[in-house]
Amino acid sequence: MTGGEILLRSVGVLVALVLGATLTWRLEPRVLESAGVTELGPAAGTHPQGPIGLAPNPDVWLYPAGPIVAVLGVLFGAVVIPLGPDLVGQDLGIGVFYFIVVIDFVVLGLSLGGWGANVRNAAEVYYRAVAQLVSYVVPLGLAYIGAIMMAGSLSTIAIAQAQEGLWFVVLQPLGFALYLVTGAMQAYRPPFVEPFSRHIEHGVYGSSAGWQALLWRLSMSGVLLLVAAMGSVLYLGGWNGPLLPDPLWMILKTLALMVLMLWLGARFRPLSTAEMLALSWKVLTPVGLANVLLVGGLILLGAGP
Amino acid sequence: MAVPLTAYLVVAALLFAIGVYAVIAQRSAVMILMGIEVLLNAIGLNLIAFWRFVNPGDYSAQIFAIIIITVGAVEMGIGLAIMLLLYRNRSSVQVDDYAELRG
Amino acid sequence: MSLGEMAEWFAFLVLALISLAGALGMATTMSMFRSGIFLMASFIGVAGLFILLSADLLGLLQIMMYIGGMLVMILFMVLFSMDPGGAMMADMKMSLVERFFSLGLSSGKKDDGGGDMEHGGHDGGGMEHGGDGGDGGGMEHGGDGGDGGGMDMSMTTPVKGWAALLGLANGALLTGLLLLRPAWPESTEQPNPDSAEQIGNLLMGKYMMAFEGAGLLILIGIFGAVLIGRTSRYPDDRSRTAYVTVDAPPPEVEESAGDVVARDSKEGD
Repeated sequence: MTGGEILLRSVGVLVALVLGATLTWRLEPRVLESAGVTELGPAAGTHPQGPIGLAPNPDVWLYPAGPIVAVLGVLFGAVVIPLGPDLVGQDLGIGVFYFIVVIDFVVLGLSLGGWGANVRNAAEVYYRAVAQLVSYVVPLGLAYIGAIMMAGSLSTIAIAQAQEGLWFVVLQPLGFALYLVTGAMQAYRPPFVEPFSRHIEHGVYGSSAGWQALLWRLSMSGVLLLVAAMGSVLYLGGWNGPLLPDPLWMILKTLALMVLMLWLGARFRPLSTAEMLALSWKVLTPVGLANVLLVGGLILLGAGP
Repeated sequence: MAVPLTAYLVVAALLFAIGVYAVIAQRSAVMILMGIEVLLNAIGLNLIAFWRFVNPGDYSAQIFAIIIITVGAVEMGIGLAIMLLLYRNRSSVQVDDYAELRG
Repeated sequence: MSLGEMAEWFAFLVLALISLAGALGMATTMSMFRSGIFLMASFIGVAGLFILLSADLLGLLQIMMYIGGMLVMILFMVLFSMDPGGAMMADMKMSLVERFFSLGLSSGKKDDGGGDMEHGGHDGGGMEHGGDGGDGGGMEHGGDGGDGGGMDMSMTTPVKGWAALLGLANGALLTGLLLLRPAWPESTEQPNPDSAEQIGNLLMGKYMMAFEGAGLLILIGIFGAVLIGRTSRYPDDRSRTAYVTVDAPPPEVEESAGDVVARDSKEGD
């Protein structure tokens, strides 16, 4: 790969991510408000009321690093999302694993920015984000494993190609449901909005301004977009579909999955981190293991590609 | 491979030296655990560098590195649990507060 | 030197700098939180070196393990430490390296006016440590061994100088030995690009026992940690009594203007 091609692909991924995140940013509050959600979480667009003393004595290194790390995580994650069989930033052999890893940088960014702001409400973001990470990371991995097992590959392209005939959502409804719940947890969307709760002044939103606030909103919209896009690659067949061109199908599926996630999340009251942990370890993890068992049985019976 | 093997080994050696300093000089048990993690990491870097340059066909070195990472994680978990217990007893995890057996 | 080689050297130097500076920062900074973050940076640098050595799966594995692991570990440090933000100790005597890696932590140097502004480090996090973070100005550095009392808050032991000497000697000795040694028997073979498949086959084939043993070790580790960490059933076991915090009212937090107490998020609506 030449230098020019690398540059072209990077710019392409960046532009696609910014456009998608902007669309998400405009779309999300409307969906949530029409569903009657009061606790908007990361979609809360308005600046919190009160004095503007956002972060009077921040940590000079960690406070600016937070949003940059979060945006970098989202940006690196966007590299492996395919819009078509050839329309992908870079097809890595271990693409899905790479995606799981780099999305973790969003949690790191939240921790850095929250603690570095040196304000009580923002420091709370760090505790809540880590508790949420501990609760979603195991079931999320189990939700990925079902699709990986059936496709027999870690590459996002290969997983989407394996669903040309039949989407995995038909074969693994349990895994899809698990992905919906853990994906909402990973994206900090309702009902899992503890790090962005309005009781702590919307978390990092309340302690940042200017370019940092912009980057926070970009990364938080981007993470929802990426979670929905990865969900449509893993379970909804990616770009596969009749009539319409490939990228359009992928975009439609991503938006539909996003709206479904938000709409479902709006049905429930916001959960505390303790309730999230209980849900994760008592319900989601056993469900994920059961799903892996079921998928193994299906593969042995000859279902799937 | 433009970068020679020795360069990687020197980085690992310097990491090891910093880890030794951290384990001896730090007072809090958590920091000592972190120093041990640096030591383990230096060893892992050595393993992978030797694998790549000496015998890249055999992936056993990577298995070894994975086992090291696993053991490091378990050690961290148990260490934190012990510290939790110590902290409940004495409200301190500074290692020089636990010197009864010095004699 | 071709462009590719230059890029490789550049990547190597940057990653080596990240891992070494991160480790050094971990060992010398006064802020425990920063120390954990520096260690994470060091791990990510080493993971980058792994990827440069074409062990991509292992590098990503390392990043995944240590982002989650280190964030939880920092949480424990905040729990156990008197001064996790390091604002008290940042005013003490420090060596040059320590001063660099603790840059900006000190509360005294800043000229934001007023004696008792709220610069108490991160005392929003360190619960038991009220708002007295600002008065660390005249405190002795524990490394001098002067005040052996219970108020010795320093992060480092009195043998810090010897430890630094030992570390330096260790590094110099190892580096010298490496540089003096004649060339290693290097192979020109290229590794298989699909490392995931190779590792998977080895783990499930030749190294099955090691794999299962590691799994057993993790299981026993979980059991041990839970056994040590849980509360005791025996009421006279004072060290392991359950802290019942649910029934007691939470400790009063002094309110500043515009602050919303974070605790009552559950009864929001």
